[in-house]
Amino acid sequence: MSSAATFKRLLALPPAVRRSFYSTAVSSSEPEIYDVVCVGGGPVGLSFVSALHSHHSTRHLRIALIDSQDLTAPHLDSPGGTYSNRCSSLTPAAVRFMKSIGVWEKIDQPRIQPYHAMDVWDGVSGSKIHFDQQQGAGLIDALAEMVPGNRFQASRRKYEAGEMVVATMCENRNLTGALLKRIEELKDERSSSTLNMLAKTKVDSIALGAEAADESSPDFSQWPILSTSSGQNFAARLLVGADGANSPVRRFADIPSPGWDYNQHGVVATLNLDRDLNASELRTAYQRFLPTGPVALLPLPGKKASLVWSTSPAHATALKALAPEEFTAAVNAAFRLMPVDINHMLSASSDSTPTSELSWREPATPPTSTGLPTNFPRIQSLQQGSLASFPLRLRHASTYTGHRVALIGDAAHTIHPLAGQGLNLGLADSEALAKQLVYGVEHGMDIGSSWCLDGYNSERWAKNNAVLGVVDKLEKIYSAGSGPVVWGRSAGVEVLERLGWVKGLISGAAAGRG
Amino acid sequence: MASRDAILRLPVALRQSVVTSRPSLASLAPSSPCSSSPRPYATETTHATPESSVNHDEVSHFNAMASDWWDPHGSSRLLHLMNPLRHQFIRRCLAPDGLDPDRKMRYLDIGCGGGIFAESAARMRNVESVTAIDPTPEVLAVAKKHRRTDPLLLEPGRLTYLQTSIEGLQTPSDKQYDVISLFEVIEHIQRPNPFLQSILKQLKPGGWLIGSTIARTPVSWFTTKFVAEDILRMVPRGTHDWNQYIQPQEMRDWARGQKELNTSDGVGWHVMGVVYVPGFGWKEVKGSEAWGNYFFAVKKREGAV
Ligand SMILES: Cc1cc2nc3c(=O)[nH]c(=O)nc-3n(C[C@H](O)[C@H](O)[C@H](O)COP(=O)(O)OP(=O)(O)OC[C@H]3O[C@@H](n4cnc5c(N)ncnc54)[C@H](O)[C@@H]3O)c2cc1C
Repeated sequence: MSSAATFKRLLALPPAVRRSFYSTAVSSSEPEIYDVVCVGGGPVGLSFVSALHSHHSTRHLRIALIDSQDLTAPHLDSPGGTYSNRCSSLTPAAVRFMKSIGVWEKIDQPRIQPYHAMDVWDGVSGSKIHFDQQQGAGLIDALAEMVPGNRFQASRRKYEAGEMVVATMCENRNLTGALLKRIEELKDERSSSTLNMLAKTKVDSIALGAEAADESSPDFSQWPILSTSSGQNFAARLLVGADGANSPVRRFADIPSPGWDYNQHGVVATLNLDRDLNASELRTAYQRFLPTGPVALLPLPGKKASLVWSTSPAHATALKALAPEEFTAAVNAAFRLMPVDINHMLSASSDSTPTSELSWREPATPPTSTGLPTNFPRIQSLQQGSLASFPLRLRHASTYTGHRVALIGDAAHTIHPLAGQGLNLGLADSEALAKQLVYGVEHGMDIGSSWCLDGYNSERWAKNNAVLGVVDKLEKIYSAGSGPVVWGRSAGVEVLERLGWVKGLISGAAAGRG
Repeated sequence: MASRDAILRLPVALRQSVVTSRPSLASLAPSSPCSSSPRPYATETTHATPESSVNHDEVSHFNAMASDWWDPHGSSRLLHLMNPLRHQFIRRCLAPDGLDPDRKMRYLDIGCGGGIFAESAARMRNVESVTAIDPTPEVLAVAKKHRRTDPLLLEPGRLTYLQTSIEGLQTPSDKQYDVISLFEVIEHIQRPNPFLQSILKQLKPGGWLIGSTIARTPVSWFTTKFVAEDILRMVPRGTHDWNQYIQPQEMRDWARGQKELNTSDGVGWHVMGVVYVPGFGWKEVKGSEAWGNYFFAVKKREGAV
């Protein structure tokens, strides 16, 4: 967005918001003044306040984090027990960030699963892409490698440095648990912590403050004032929206978030496999592109795996209605049968069950005809109660910053899970914004001003936009069921195989999850 | 497109260097390689009184421009963008003394304008107080109004604005300043020597006088006089008095003449050339002090009074 346009938006914003202030009851109590108020204690918001509180330059900032949910580290099962269906694949860059702020050592290590290779194949043409640790790298690195002349050296270096991991599967609650532990530890390190965690507290309204009463008192007319369900009021020098896809902060700032719905749902589940792999074995993630959307199997420790199956709303409904053993058969079929058979299996008019469909179609469908990787495991059962689905959308806020407002994570963007980038992008936002605030504090800036925040927007927006665009195009290319696009993509697979960055994208993605 | 952009932007910065700096006055100026005729026009349009460095024409000149000081896309934009470099330069000067985190310093900002540097200095954790002076009431009104948008700056004693010239500033001897800043001011002073002398009186022994300005060279003549004034008419003709621009070497020669100043390289004297790169921002460019915008700093000897 051009700076002129941004400015126009800023000019347009306050009156509207001021109106909303006067129409909602003017709060009775004086607001408490905070340097940073972060709405949202999901993984992104928690990582942001941990990063601020870990750095000596921003440690003294008065910070409030508000979430309507509980903010105590969740109880995690013993290894071998059950796994949450909300998992994310963390790229090496995200893991580096977590290490740098002292969070990674708090992760329940036996519950995470790094993987070292990824097989992606096209359900229609059967053409394959394999990538492994030589590609290394997450998406951002991969995009950087697009720079001419850079590609070979970069991947080579990573290989020689022994960076074997494509990405690491981690349950979201394992990550948030580690973040909460780290935050507790940081609070304990100092007798008077300036970080205030407000759990089970909902932000009811956000409005601009009142004009100053007289010439000598502070002027809060451009400060966001939050009112919470607990009856408190907070004035925010900087209001950070880490409040997810429906971000109330984004609505307050009147930042448009254009995009579209994929008319797909992501069906997620935790699965048991036929093979029990031990921790030292190299693991592979799998993703097959079907015309209805990609289906991905991501490794968890032992014989567990995490499923993300993006498909039509009708198929998602049909899948969720299946008995557990039928669902298991349907997942096996999704990776093994021809797309036409999968469609038939899930169509409302079908008179056969997935089990019967699989048992008579599979022998007649040689792996060479579908591109099925030879080492692909068989799915044995569904972990009870782990089946869920959510609608897939692309949204991208037109800017991440406004006066005294910044957006991070899903509040700023939501992305198709095929590239497994959603949370990784959010963590990168959080790291970049925290870094920008360090810079602002060290240079005496008002951290809510555009002088400070512009750097964050310019560092993240275009990068995220590129990622969102490429992932969206991959989704579109691969959801074509027949015709020139399919021919093109199988003929062009050789080219694709060589295009390190596309492979990196999907592998960074590998993680299959948002 | 890009080059037009570049030309459009650069003079704004330079114009702003005029806008921010009110005090104007009389001079020194030893011979310089570029200026054979030391400021023949410099005093014609001004009515400086002998006691004060204030140039009343310039004062009224700034009134009109006061309103968009804090507009992120206004004409002060490049000055805002330069502000972080000021702190980096100050840190560089203070570094050898060891930055004791518990030591809080007193700052004096001369020609504070709308308060861009003064506000930022007052937010620094190692700053006890900032006194910011400017002779123009309108810009001080802007500064004071903007200060109210940040409650931190309203804490008693943290940031004090005074409408005064340096000569008029009363400072008890035990309240001298650790850092005195003079950003984009000196080029508007017709007689820099007495002006700088009165600044030194306010400086604590061991303290730093830190400033920035533009060198007097064909490049600065081209960008500030020819492009900004004659071609783009972004500033009225005659806004800059190019003959008043000062070379880094002239600054240093002046400092060497003051026995209370330490001018040895990297210990008591620093200079840093900076260039505005469109699309990137201000950037330190070694050696550019000889032909463009630059920072200078000089330290008062520990034993001096
Ligand atoms: C239903 C669903 C299922 C998903 N499943 C997966 C998956 O299996 N794998 C995957 O990788 N990604 C999944 N995603 C995406 C992934 O969860 C997000 O990318 C990631 O959680 C983004 O983190 P965040 O911190 O930005 O936002 P969120 O995790 O959404 O956190 C936002 C937080 O803000 C709080 N909040 C919002 N409004 C208020 C308010 N008014 N007052 C107080 N608090 C408020 C919420 O309580 C919440 O804790 C899923 C998303 C959804 C919506």
